[in-house]
Parts: sequence; structure tokens; C-alpha cells
Amino acid sequence: MLQCIFLLSDSGEVMLEKQFTGHRVDRSICAWFWEHAVSHGDSSKLQPVIASPTHYLFQIFREGITFLACTQVEMPPLMAIEFLCRVADVLSDYLGELNEDLIKDNFIIVYELLDEMIDNGFPLTTEPTILREMIAPPNIVSKVLSVVTGTSSNVSDTLPVATGSCVPWRTTDLKYSSNEVYVELVEEMDATINRDGVLVKCEIYGEVQINSHITGLPDLTLSFSNPSILDDVRFHPCVRFRPWESHQTLSFVPPDGHFKLMSYRVRKLKNIPLYVKPQITSDAGTCRISLLVGIRNDPGRTIDSITLQFQLPPCILSADLSSNHGTVNILANKTCFWSIGRIPKDKTPSMSGTLVLESGLERLHVFPTFQVGFRIANIALSGLQIDKLDLKTTPARFHKGFRAVTRAGEFEVRS
Amino acid sequence: MAPPAQTVRSSSPSQPSGKGEVSDLKLQLRQLAGSRAPGVDDSKRELFKKVISYMTIGIDVSSLFGEMVMCSATSDIVLKKMCYLYVGNYAKVNPDLALLTINFLQRDCKDDDPMIRGLALRSLCSLRVANLVEYLVGPLESGLKDSNSYVRMVAVIGVLKLYHISASTCIDADFPATLKHLMLNDSDTQVVANCLSALQEIWSSGAATSEEASRERETLLSKPVVYYFLNRIKEFSEWAQCLLLELVAKYVPADSSEIFDIMNLLEDRLQHANGAVVLATIKVFLQLTLSMTDVHQQVYERIKAPLLTLVSSGSPEQSYAVLSHLHLLVMRAPYIFSSDYKHFYCQYNEPSYVKKLKLEMLTAVANESNTYEIVTELCEYAANVDIPIARESIRAVGKIALQQYDVNAIVDRLLQFLEMEKDYVTAEALVLVKDLLRKYPQWSHDCIAVVGNISSKNVQEPKAKAALIWMLGEYSQDMQDAPYILESLIENWEDEHSAEVRLHLLTAVMKCFFKRPPETQKALGAALAAGLADLHQDVHDRALFYYRLLQYDVTVGERVVNPPKQAVSVFADTQSSEIKDRIFDEFNSLSVVYQKPSYMFTDKEHRGPFEFSDELGNLSIGTESVDTTVPVHKVEANDKDLLLSTTEKEDTRGPINDGAYSAPSYDGSLVSLAAPQTQPEVATSNPSVKEHSQSSFAIDDLLGLGLPAAPAPAPSPPSLKLNSKAVLDPSTFQQKWRQLPISLSQEYSVSPQGVSALTTPQVLLRHMQTHSIHCIASGGQSPNFKFFFFAQKAEESSTFLVECIINTSSAKAQIKVKADDQSASQAFSSLFQSALSKFGTA
Repeated sequence: MLQCIFLLSDSGEVMLEKQFTGHRVDRSICAWFWEHAVSHGDSSKLQPVIASPTHYLFQIFREGITFLACTQVEMPPLMAIEFLCRVADVLSDYLGELNEDLIKDNFIIVYELLDEMIDNGFPLTTEPTILREMIAPPNIVSKVLSVVTGTSSNVSDTLPVATGSCVPWRTTDLKYSSNEVYVELVEEMDATINRDGVLVKCEIYGEVQINSHITGLPDLTLSFSNPSILDDVRFHPCVRFRPWESHQTLSFVPPDGHFKLMSYRVRKLKNIPLYVKPQITSDAGTCRISLLVGIRNDPGRTIDSITLQFQLPPCILSADLSSNHGTVNILANKTCFWSIGRIPKDKTPSMSGTLVLESGLERLHVFPTFQVGFRIANIALSGLQIDKLDLKTTPARFHKGFRAVTRAGEFEVRS
Repeated sequence: MAPPAQTVRSSSPSQPSGKGEVSDLKLQLRQLAGSRAPGVDDSKRELFKKVISYMTIGIDVSSLFGEMVMCSATSDIVLKKMCYLYVGNYAKVNPDLALLTINFLQRDCKDDDPMIRGLALRSLCSLRVANLVEYLVGPLESGLKDSNSYVRMVAVIGVLKLYHISASTCIDADFPATLKHLMLNDSDTQVVANCLSALQEIWSSGAATSEEASRERETLLSKPVVYYFLNRIKEFSEWAQCLLLELVAKYVPADSSEIFDIMNLLEDRLQHANGAVVLATIKVFLQLTLSMTDVHQQVYERIKAPLLTLVSSGSPEQSYAVLSHLHLLVMRAPYIFSSDYKHFYCQYNEPSYVKKLKLEMLTAVANESNTYEIVTELCEYAANVDIPIARESIRAVGKIALQQYDVNAIVDRLLQFLEMEKDYVTAEALVLVKDLLRKYPQWSHDCIAVVGNISSKNVQEPKAKAALIWMLGEYSQDMQDAPYILESLIENWEDEHSAEVRLHLLTAVMKCFFKRPPETQKALGAALAAGLADLHQDVHDRALFYYRLLQYDVTVGERVVNPPKQAVSVFADTQSSEIKDRIFDEFNSLSVVYQKPSYMFTDKEHRGPFEFSDELGNLSIGTESVDTTVPVHKVEANDKDLLLSTTEKEDTRGPINDGAYSAPSYDGSLVSLAAPQTQPEVATSNPSVKEHSQSSFAIDDLLGLGLPAAPAPAPSPPSLKLNSKAVLDPSTFQQKWRQLPISLSQEYSVSPQGVSALTTPQVLLRHMQTHSIHCIASGGQSPNFKFFFFAQKAEESSTFLVECIINTSSAKAQIKVKADDQSASQAFSSLFQSALSKFGTA
């Protein structure tokens, strides 16, 4: 049971305070929290669950805003954290994005939302569709309307119908002139390559995202040609469990608009699209570094936006790096950033240079880890393939589309 | 653009400092209050917004209360909401003015728009002013009967709010009964869920004083209610599902087929998108199968994949919360996760607190088949930029070495660390090599060769220095220049700040002296002289002790200071298994994240609303009255003592994290003080056992357990007389329970009077105590109760331990007896039975 929620700005200022129970939580807790955060670097490095002398604090950090919740009773920590994440998601959904100014400009809406999302410290509804019906988002349309009609209430007059229906994520009376549904596979590849160049771990975390605009209550069925490769799956509440259990098809009535239908994990993959070969030699106070990047297993599509990022060890005084392709930047906090883009046909991108060690150090003992970024459109590297998407009763004008994209997640190469 | 943290509270140009602006607002609000001009709502809205934003910044705008209320007559819903917000915030400090708002809120409660009815009711109940409760009852009553579910939902929580303001008003209006009816009959699941959460809270806090509330609370856990919820669980919102699952986790199914039914029904919840639902389901699974070893194992296999997915998806904050739970499970059953070790590899970007958890898990899951890979991985972290993590990983390598049989490869790695020329790496590695040598003396040759090359000047950390010195003393016959290194260290005695190092230096130079007297004699003299002059009491005493010992007899001295030692087989664990079990019972709670059971960090009152009386798997030690009478920290200390066995108790006195590494203080010198050939555990535990039995009177007294005040001696059969003042501390009980075989297992029937008298475990405890059978732990609720009893023979210290499970619906009691003296267990059993049969008749 949460007792209150604070929204703190980047500088620790209380932007919003919402109390839920009779036990008021004094604001001084925020000052305590901020001191604690400052002493730990910044709040993004802080543990999500902290014990203050008087309360237990849950905090999440999004776009410079700290969502801080307090409680004095024992409760499931994940529930509190999930809820805060949901609050952050709903707010960024409502306000378009999330930042300090937007929160300050729309604090009334934030209050209204919190009022409906949680009562007496227990979460009620966090389903964006339902909330949208209770509190209209501050979009341009309603602003224009308010100017034209002179009534600027951003609250709809009717209560959401869906709160009482058995499909709480959807309203029943939607009408579209053209019906469309888009399915996108979004995958992230996590891989670790160790010092000896061995691929120690490679797995994909993927999501099936759907954007649907269909009249009425559509009943969709989505099937894969190779569902057996999935190691573990999690579903949006709209997915029916039985069809998946018996023959691995996803049967569901979708929420309106964009949502995450399913997330999955594919483990023990053997192929990674890129190789990165770092070489570091050091002797007598200087250190030579060279890096090669190239295609290892050609995915058959263009690999885009290749980047390489690494942190110089603290014992390095200065670095002089250059590359034969792309640009190399060294930021103030000793982060090196090499953006490669695409791999050219005629040469292998390489970067090399010298690092100057602190005086007194002969050799380098701490080695950087290279974090690789890339993006490959139109392919799901896990190999997952969509077989077909059916709609029970197809309306007159119906359009469906499929897409896929694979990005690097935590893709790291150690040296 | 935002001001820095320090200036938040002070004024900045963008923030009004207060008085002037507030009185300005007051004036403007007053002008608008009566106005009915068109567009007045817009200007009001601007003003209200300003007021609320001041309130949010932290400026006191309570002086506007009257004006705000005057302006509240409006049909604009946003204006209403802002006004409700304002009123809710300041009503408590302005109870008299709050009366002004009642009128318009009550009117709004009758509005045509259900949204406004709901909002008004919510605000009305959030005023929390004690003298206004009379105005709440009416609107709440009609709210609970409202045709719109939104209003009912708000009204239900309103009842709970009313209960917290004035419990008697709430009970007098018979709201709990209304809620119960709604809970079982309403069509809207959110209303039902709110009823459940409200009733849980109302009845739990009422349970202490009212028999009826505690009975009602138990009916929430009865089969029909739990099944009613379970069958509809998919219709509930995700958060309400968490609530229901928490309830189910406390339910005690009658048999295993029921357990399987529940698990089948809930299996798909493991695939829910909301991690909180998944974790709550996992808790249900784990709790249900606790007593079924095989199934429990399968549950672990089943929940593995969802947990690992939860860790790798979601935000870092969510991962952390899941990871803490995963950590708990991995520590309980490492072998199940041993093939998933790669999931615990650290990512470069992860915060250190995550890495730390992962390192511990890697250490736990290491076994013969994956050790090589895990150690390879850990060695890569040793070159990490993050120094604390580098240290942790070296320690992890060491821990793995100490728990493995085949350590060849690991020793090589550790020795490589020693050659890495990084002071913190060397320091950690030295400590580890020392521990390793204490367990595997056969490696001394390889290790000493490397250790000998380390210059003591490069080792600064006290722990590492102590380890190095210990090795110098222990293996001085193998290290060519050991006496000279020691000598140079003694020359710098004055510069050595750590008493621990100086103590080790004394002992090491003694040991060295016995092995290589001519080379060490001078150093020994210098060391003893320096030690005697030392200001630190322990150092001084040890030096004096050695000095006199040598004066008395050198050979005796050698037997005392440097006796032959046995290899250490197991290093003490820092956290006792009882504590781990307690944390496990509190799965899906803060305890897991803190790695402490909740009694160690929350006070009783705050555990309140969520803690039902302890269920079977979670036996409470002692009775309820403890926490109310004793300051919290005291209870904590006692609880700790009760839970830890004597050897572990020794251990926790040191800093917990370093437990395994603070071992040097146990070394040869300490052992020998008691008697040569004796193991340290034996030597140190003897006195503390005595201490325990003395102090346990006091502790038991606190717990209201084995009070010596037991009245009339038991009317026992002549063959066996029990000691009415028997005492046994829980740790000894647990130890004995584990060691002794079951000597008798029986089932009795319980008399109907007994069944009806058994409303809470405590009643039976008191009864059995009059028969000199004492309870050490009890738990459960109707119909299943579980007790652990003990008794002692009157003339000798032979004890009987009993586990007794009573099912009131079948009127059966199952008992298992374990006894020091097996031959007497039959006699004891009949005694126990006769005592039990008298229960309820008096």
C-alpha cells in the first residue's frame, strides 16, 4: 500500500505531491532522498528500493524525473515499481513525451490521472484506453475545440463504458472508415564476447507490437511458422491462454491503437551479425589500441547505424584516436564514441590510436568494454516468422501489414 | 532552468515568496465568488490553477480556504476537481472551515453525473476530519447502493477511509457486513476487489480486539471465498489480481488434488505482462507446494523461465526487484539454476547493486560442470573499471574455490591475480589464498612460491597485510626470507596503525621462532618489547602472554602457539538457514529486497494490514505480545539470538559481509589458548551454551513461553514426571529436531469440547503449559493448526520434542515425537494425549 507519490525534477525540486492515506508523508522525506541520491552520484545509480529512517522508498528515474513513492508497510516491491513505471508510461503517453516542463504545465492533468489510477494507496486502473475516456489528453484538437466552442473542459462527460465490460482494454463503439492492423516484430540482441573473442552469451528479447484501428470488436488470430523457437513468452491481458497452449496461436481482441501484444525470449543463439576485434598493447607508459569491425554472419539485409562506444579507463590521461571510416569523438567524461553507419563495400572500418597512461604506470591493467550498436530493418534475427493474421469477420476495407526490426541491446565486446 | 536542489525551499524569481501574491489571489477569488457573468469559469480556472500550483510548490495557501469554497459552486468538472484537491489538502488543518465544504460535497454526491458523484464522495471521505464523520455515513450508504459501479467502487474505499477516521462509526453503520455482501455479489470486479482490500484491512486491524473480526478475517481464507475469487480471477484488473493472489497464497488447501487444481488454474498467470502478477503467482506456487518436495522441485523448474524473462525485459528498476527474488531462489536451490549460469553474467552497464547480486548467484550456482566457465568470466571482471566489483569478483572466485573439490585451475587464477600488480587485486587475492591454504594445505608449495615474491610494502590494506603475515608465520620454514620480512615489519611497528596486523605480527613471529629460532630470536625480542609497550590492550596482553609463556617453558609455548592444525572443512555461513527460511516465507515482499526478514526492519504496527496471523509455513516463534512491550531494537536483538545457533552467533558479531574473511582471528593462537588439539568451535561454544541457558530464562520470559509460573504440577502418570520449569531455546530445539529421528508418530482424535475451545493457537499453549508441556512455536488458523512443543523429564535433562498438527474440522491431531530417551517416548505420548484430551473440559 503506497502512502504517497512525489515527482521530483532533475534538481530535486518537488514538482508534484499526491497523498493517498490519512498518514501524511512529510515533504522532508524528499530532502532526505535527494541528499541520499546526491551522495550516490545521481538518482539513476540509486537502488530502486531504499529504506529511509521513517519510510521505505521506491524510486524510478525517467527522462530526468524521479518518481518517488513512500510506504511504511510491507508490500510487494515489484508491484510498487511496476505501478510507478506504469504511471511514467501513462504520463508520457498523455503528454507526448516526458520532461520537467511538460509536467509543470500539465500538473492538473497529472493530478487527475493519479486520482483515477490509485485510491487509498492501492492501484485501480492503469489501462491507458480507460483513462483516456475519463480524462481527455491535452492534445491540440481539444485545445482548438476549446478556443472555438469556449468550453475548455478536458474531461469527457460520460463514464467509460469499458469499465463495466469484460474487455476492459477496449471500448465497444469504435468506428473507422478504413480498417487497418500492423504487426511489427521488434527484437533486441544481447550478446557478450569475452576477452578471447568467444561468444559467451547471445540471446534475443523480442516484442510483437500491434497498431490496430478496427471497427467494432475485432477478433484476431496471429500465428507463427516456428513458434517452437520461443523460450518464454509473456502476453498482454487480451491474449487468450488456451489457443496458445494447444497450438501456439495468439487469439485476441486488441486494444485500440498501439500496444505490446507479446514479449518473448530466444536463448542460445549462435550467430551474431558483426564482429569487433579489439587489440590493445601497452608498454612503457603508452598504449596502442586498434579496432576492426566487420560483418560476421551476413543477415542478408543492410546493417545500419553501427556505433561503437567505450569508456577509457580512469588511468588514461589522454587519447589520440583516428579511423578510416566514420567519425570518432571523445567526450568529456572519457567516453569514446565511434559512429560507423554502414559498412562500406571496399574496406573494413578500423580505428587506431595511442593512449597515454598516468605517469608511473607501465602497463594497462584495466581494459575497456566496447558497446556495439546497430539496427537491421526488415528482419527478425531470432528467425521468428509470422505465418498469418486472420480477422474473424473481415470488414469491407481491411488492410494488414507486417514489419520487423532488430537492434543491438546489450551487445558488448570485452578486451 | 530549475534552481539547484539547495534553493528549492527558498524563493526564486519564478516562485512567489508568499504573502503578497496569496492576498492578491484572495481578493480576486472573492470578486469571482458571486459572479455569474459568462466566462467566469475560465477566470476561476486560471486562479484555481495558480492556487494549486502554489500548493504544489509548497507555499501555504490554506488562508484561501473560505474563498475557494465560495467559488466552488460551478458545473465545470475540472474546476470541481481542482477544488476537491485543494480541500482535501487543507481540510485536516482547518477542521472548522472544512464544515463549509460538506454542504457542496454532499450536494455533488447526488449529482446526475456518476463521475461527479464518485469524485465528490471520494473527496468527502478524504477530508479525514474526525468531527465530520456523521456527514459521511449517509452519502456512503447511498454510494454503496449506487447503480453506477464507479460510484460503488469509490464508496467501498470510502468506507475504509471512514474506518480509519472513526472505526466505531463505521462498525455502527454495519458497513463491513454491507461490504461483505457486495464482495460476494457485485458484478463489477473492481468493486469486488476494493471490498476485499477494505475488508482485509478493517478485519485485520480489528482482529486484535474483536473476536468477530478475527473470525471474519478467517472466513476470507475459507474455501468458498477463495474459490469464488479464483474462478473469476481473469476478469479482475492486473492490480486486483495481485491482491487476490496474495490472499490465495495464505490459503491452506485440504489435500494435494486441491493444490493441483489451484496451480492449473493459475498457470497462465505466469505469462502475464505485469511482473507483479507473475511474482505473486510464483509466491502462490511456492507456498502451496512447500510440503511436497517433488512438486516443489518441479515448481522451481516451471518458474525459472518466467523469472529469467522478467529479469531481462523491463526497466532496470523492475529487473532489480525481480533479480532480488531470483537471488533468493538461487540461493535456496542453486543446482536447479546451474545450467542457467550465463544469465547471471554481468553487463557492463548494469549498476553495481545488480552486479553484486549476480556475482553472488554465480558463486552459488558453480558446480563441477560450469566452474571453469564461471571462473573465466569472473576473472574478466577483475580487470573491471568498477573497483568494488573487481574486488567482489575476486572474492567470488575464492568462494567458488572453497566450495569445490577440484581447485587446480582456480588456484592458478588466484595466483595470476597476485601477479597483476594492482594493489586492490593483490590485497583481495592474498586474503583468499590464506583461506584457501587453511582448507587445502596441500597447495602450500605452489602458493608460497608466489606469495614469497610479493613485497610487503605493496600491501597496505590491514586484512591483506594480516593474511600475508599469517602466511609468513605459518609457512616460515618454506619461505627463505620469512624471518627477515617479519623483522623489517617489526621495525616499522610504530607506523602500523591496525591492531589486527600487530596481533598477527606477534603470533607470526612466535611461530617463526619455533621453526627457525636462530634467525628469528632478535625479531622476536623486538616484537615482544614493542608489543609490551603497545597502547592497545589486546596487543599488550598478547605480547605479555607470549612473554610469560616463553619464560615458563618454550616447548609448552610451541604446543600452545603452533600446534598441528586440521584443515578447515567448511567456513561458517553468514546468514543462518532459519533467517533464509523466514525470508523465503515472505517471498514477494520488501524482506527479499533487503535480505532480512521483516521483523528485523519493520515494527509490528507497520506490518499490520498485510500480515494475517502466521500461516502454517510461517511459524511464529513465541507469542504475539512481545513487540508491544519491548522496544523494537531489543526485540530484534533477542530474535537474532533466538534464531542463530551458537556458532553462528559468534560469527554475526563481526561485520556481516566480511564474515567469511575475518577468519584470521580464529587462527592457531586462539585455538591454543583453550587447549591444544581442540577445534575453535568447541572451545568457544562451550561458554556460550552456558550463557544461553542462563539467559534463556529472560528471553523466554519476554516471549511469555516457559514461564516458571506454571501452576499446579501435572497430574501425570507415575512412570514419567515432567519438569514444569523446563527451558529450551529455539535454536537448540531446531538443532535437536533436525538431529533426532522420529521415535513415535500417532494420530488422536480431539474431543468436541477441545475443537470448540481451539479458536487461536494461544489457548492451547496455555493449557498444555499447565501440564508441563511447553510450546516453542505455533501457527496456522482454523481449521489447521500446527504446534511445536517440548518437555523435559523432571529428574534428568532428557527432552521430548513434539510436532502436533490439529485439524479442527476432522477433529484429529497428528503428533510426531522425538526424544533424547527413545524408550520413554511411549510414556510421554500417553501423557501428551491425556493432557490434550483434557483441553476444553476445564
